[in-house]
Amino acid sequence: MEQHEVERIVAARGRAADEARPQALAAVRDAGALSARERLAALFDDGVEALEYGILAAAAVDGVADAPADGLIGALGRVHGAPVVAAAYDRTVLDGTQSDRNQRKLARLVTLATMRRLPFVCFVEGDGARPGDPLPPPPVVIGPRARWDVYDGLAEMNGLVPTVAVVTGRVLDGNAGIAFLADCVIAVRGAEFGSRDRATGAVVTRGVEVDAADGHVDLLAEDEDEAIAAVRRYLAQVLLRSAPWEQDPGYEAIGEVIPDNRRRAYDMRRIVRAFADRDSIFELGAGWATSMITAFARIEGRPIGIFANQPLSPLAGAIDAAAADKAARFIELCDAYELPLVSFIDNPGYMVGPQAERDGIARHHARPLAALQHRTVPLCSVQLRKAYGLGPYAMSGYGTSRIQPELRLAWPSVESGGMSLEGAAFLVKRKEIQAASTPEEARAIRDHYAETMRDATTGLRAGQSYSFDDVVLPAETRRRIADVLAAVPTPIPTVKKHTVDLR
Amino acid sequence: MDQRRIDALRAAREGQLDRARPEVVGRVHAGGRLTARERVEALLDAGSAVEYGGIAARTAEGDWIAEAGGVDFVGTVGGRTVIASSTDATDKGGGYGAGRLPRLFALADQYGWPMVLFVDGGGSRARHPRVGLGHIETTGAIGPFNLFDGISELSGRVPTVAIVSGPAFAGHASLAGFSDVVITTPGSAIGMGGPPMVEAALGKKLTPNELAGVEMHDLTGGIDLLVADESAAIDVARRYLAFLGDEPAGVASASADRIAALVPDEGPYDVQSVIEALVDVDSVLELRRNFARSVVTVLARIDGRTVGVVASQPLVDDGAIDEAAATKVGRFVELCDAYDYPLVALVDTPGCVIRRADPNGGADSLEPGITRWHTRVLLAHHHRTVPVVSVRLRRGRGLGAAVLGGLHTGRTISLAAYGWPTVEVGRPDGFGVVYDHNVFDDVIDPAETRARISALLARVPAPPTQGRKKHPVDTW
Repeated sequence: MEQHEVERIVAARGRAADEARPQALAAVRDAGALSARERLAALFDDGVEALEYGILAAAAVDGVADAPADGLIGALGRVHGAPVVAAAYDRTVLDGTQSDRNQRKLARLVTLATMRRLPFVCFVEGDGARPGDPLPPPPVVIGPRARWDVYDGLAEMNGLVPTVAVVTGRVLDGNAGIAFLADCVIAVRGAEFGSRDRATGAVVTRGVEVDAADGHVDLLAEDEDEAIAAVRRYLAQVLLRSAPWEQDPGYEAIGEVIPDNRRRAYDMRRIVRAFADRDSIFELGAGWATSMITAFARIEGRPIGIFANQPLSPLAGAIDAAAADKAARFIELCDAYELPLVSFIDNPGYMVGPQAERDGIARHHARPLAALQHRTVPLCSVQLRKAYGLGPYAMSGYGTSRIQPELRLAWPSVESGGMSLEGAAFLVKRKEIQAASTPEEARAIRDHYAETMRDATTGLRAGQSYSFDDVVLPAETRRRIADVLAAVPTPIPTVKKHTVDLR
Repeated sequence: MDQRRIDALRAAREGQLDRARPEVVGRVHAGGRLTARERVEALLDAGSAVEYGGIAARTAEGDWIAEAGGVDFVGTVGGRTVIASSTDATDKGGGYGAGRLPRLFALADQYGWPMVLFVDGGGSRARHPRVGLGHIETTGAIGPFNLFDGISELSGRVPTVAIVSGPAFAGHASLAGFSDVVITTPGSAIGMGGPPMVEAALGKKLTPNELAGVEMHDLTGGIDLLVADESAAIDVARRYLAFLGDEPAGVASASADRIAALVPDEGPYDVQSVIEALVDVDSVLELRRNFARSVVTVLARIDGRTVGVVASQPLVDDGAIDEAAATKVGRFVELCDAYDYPLVALVDTPGCVIRRADPNGGADSLEPGITRWHTRVLLAHHHRTVPVVSVRLRRGRGLGAAVLGGLHTGRTISLAAYGWPTVEVGRPDGFGVVYDHNVFDDVIDPAETRARISALLARVPAPPTQGRKKHPVDTW
């Protein structure tokens, strides 16, 4: 073999290492950040070097000497012992831009992950299409770079293998496209999304906090370490079907979270936390649609998805268009990755009023119902207090037929009527209430009638009328749900091959 | 048989008809509206209607009552079997009777019959024979469905059309919300909570139209069509259903030859005129016209063949695609894919933008960038199986072209990607010049566009649609 060429390759590989680029590494340190390779090393169980793809790929732009790996580190590594494909744009190489060549690398990794059903993680920080790249930037492509190009590959992965995007700095244009095609977007506070005007070069950005409030970023982390820990936590949920567990110390007293006064709000997060295995709650989308809580969790080590109404939110747990979207998306996410669903219900129904209608609730409300109708993962629900109107449909799978909810439980604090007692009192005693001389008197009349109707909607009555599979003591809830989830196969067998002849 | 039995039956049936209750019919007509029976008669082909539940109506006390809250028929529209059901607001507020709709949903699912629902009314009956206050009857005695699961299951299986020509609240609004296409008349309303509930919950006294008027929904995407009156709504429903089949031929528009002159090299133009020049004369049915107007979504025909057209509208926001425009395209792509209507994308967009409201109440601003609303459309395109022909008239910057016409390596790659001579692929900018017509299958004379699309669509094998559901149509 030509020894000269061997030496050149070894040297080129060496030049691509972080240690060979002290200036670039110093810039990264000054910014308080990790290098692209360090990000992958932190993500994987045991480093990155051995499994790197395309380390020799160089920038095709004239006159650029220091552009190792063409600005995209891609590797196959292990997370929690399971193979995972990951890539990181390198901010120190031409601003983490996208070139035809590094997109070919990424497309190759995407195709590899799709082919072998491996989770995919991408650190997306970078400035979009690379100026001066001799080949057209995406999405203007002449031909596909692999069976799946980057965006189509991410679209193909959606629902097939989990995808996570990590946002650590400025993410423009094409890089942002990758983020918003991922199932889960985890962003470091202070990072930005944006776009560059291709004619003037002017850049417009917005903080990731804006996107978190709009439902486009699922989780905000304080720093990169926390973000990477969150990625590992996310992947653990879909990769590890069991885990060591212990009961939350607050579980035995979980029922005490519900106030004696049935009109007083409480924090549903306390219920969710006490119900799940100790320290197993991983909330997604905490920044938006706050009347709906969505969280990964475990019960007796088994991974589940929890969605729950939040009585403490400004909407008092009512489901508006955004909350409906959030629930629907979470149900589809859990269904895709075989995470059984558990819901905690306490809502006054879908949001009503002119603003809710303007937001399109009449169409958005259908999304969680459709998601529940088309799911195959098990669904166990616990109604803590109320669920009026279509509330039970949205949360418990009530009224679905393609598949039935596996378990519908209620607590003794349940109010099983179809509309609020106060609302019913208003409708029934409207004239009397409107004849009242002061608002206080009107409320007193209404509340008096509401209390007289309360007896008809108690937990015991709900059990007797078979509105639920059972009404359970709060501290019995875990046992019931864990037993059901252990008993039902996931995923369910969906195909009947043929009948068995009876004789 | 004892003649008295026959006579009793005839009397019961006669009691259901409009002529048995002239006062009620007079009231309905005085309001400028049709009775439930008249609506369905106007919708279905003459003589085709077979009624379901013609006498199935009893009160809790066992008395016969008229209509059971509505009427149900199986009939034909343009020769195609359709289920038509109308609530009757004059009877129990149009509330559902036991098992009516689940029965119809099951039939529609079983045989692949489209459904047209006239759904004005106030939700469930205030007091049901079998269940208590405020409950919706969900005991699916006949067939596999309850209620909303039924229409959810039909989504993507058969076209569902809701016609709302009055106030529709609660369950009625829900049925409209689940439907593929919602056709409305002025002054009507669609809302999850009706005026009494809003008054009880929020202390606001509003009329149905003030609370959730279809004129508002027309701008915000809550409906697909707002037409002059019930007759017009019925005509539009018939036209919509007709798109399920191809016609043997079609006539080009008079402006077809002048299509190139409709698009200037620079500056705004009305893409509606381009669409009209491209498709068969008088074949355009536009959905969500006044919502997210920077993109246009229409059903139309080319040489008789049904197509869905998505097009940039440079007259509005220069054709930029905001979140609402993206979701408008995404839902339309899913709709066309579900019912196997090939897509034509007319692309001329400066790219994707995010709409920001002015906190001081001024005009919205548009910020370049994308969100999940934009990428959601890429998912719809990636998974569709209907063919798409994309035609880039001028610009297709950033992800904009992909939002309208899909990407190159989706599960179903584009049938053809064309550019017009005005196409912008060689723009000089700070990023260098990309000038390569190879990004298209061909650059064509605009006047050729119609013939090219028609010739290609004629060669695509017919999809095996019978008895299968590809996916539901997202309601948003």
